[in-house]
Amino acid sequence: MDMLLMGLCMTFIGVAVTAMAFVAATRPRRSTPAVQPELPAAKVAPARFFSDRVAASIPLQPQVPIEVLLYQIENHVRLEQAAAESFVAFPTQALLHSKTTSPFVN
Amino acid sequence: MVYELLNGLSPAEADQVLALGARVMVPSGGSLFRLGDPADRLFLTERGRIRLTLPMLVRGREEDILIEEKSPGETVGWSALVPPYRFTLSATAPLETEVIALPRESLCVYCESSPAVGYKIGLNLAILVGQRLQLVQAMWLREMQRTVELRAAGVREHR
Repeated sequence: MDMLLMGLCMTFIGVAVTAMAFVAATRPRRSTPAVQPELPAAKVAPARFFSDRVAASIPLQPQVPIEVLLYQIENHVRLEQAAAESFVAFPTQALLHSKTTSPFVN
Repeated sequence: MVYELLNGLSPAEADQVLALGARVMVPSGGSLFRLGDPADRLFLTERGRIRLTLPMLVRGREEDILIEEKSPGETVGWSALVPPYRFTLSATAPLETEVIALPRESLCVYCESSPAVGYKIGLNLAILVGQRLQLVQAMWLREMQRTVELRAAGVREHR
């Protein structure tokens, strides 16, 4: 009989603890409205892409006629090819990065 | 005329290979092939000059930009021997130019029947492709280097 009563007591205690834990877990949280420190307004940075940064570092050239520009491109390709040929003929780091007189790189 | 593709062949062998082809005249300003065209013929420059170009947008306009120029004796259009057999550049003649057009089919048949010649032509082709690769690799790295320098300069300026 004693054992039975003790078992019943233990069961009631277990159920009570479980119920309290359940209530605690499911109770809606009441958070006190915390005073949020005012954040400084984020600066809206102007849209920048790497190409803009690259463009910014290139000295602005006056608008040359397209024929002149195409001639400059062709000249640049020829000079670059000659520089690359020199490197292929005698591969050194200095020749790989040698400067040409192309207006695109000066 | 010494053709770079036929280096190491005896005169008789070279004549046999050349006999497979046909002479083609390209007028000044004329086009030999365009980018993306099926490549079924390989060309040996006989006279004049061939400009190899790629399209590039310049001020919103598509322009053909010179990539390479070929002189007499040089080979044009080896895409005809390399899958997927499509030209990866456009070829035009800045002046009246004569080329020998070698059809891939007959060249391959000939090389199969004469393996020694096929070997030499294959070796010459490998040299051409290898040289182009080395050249483009160096040019690409030089441009990359400049891009890196410009970006670094741009970042410094931005700070």
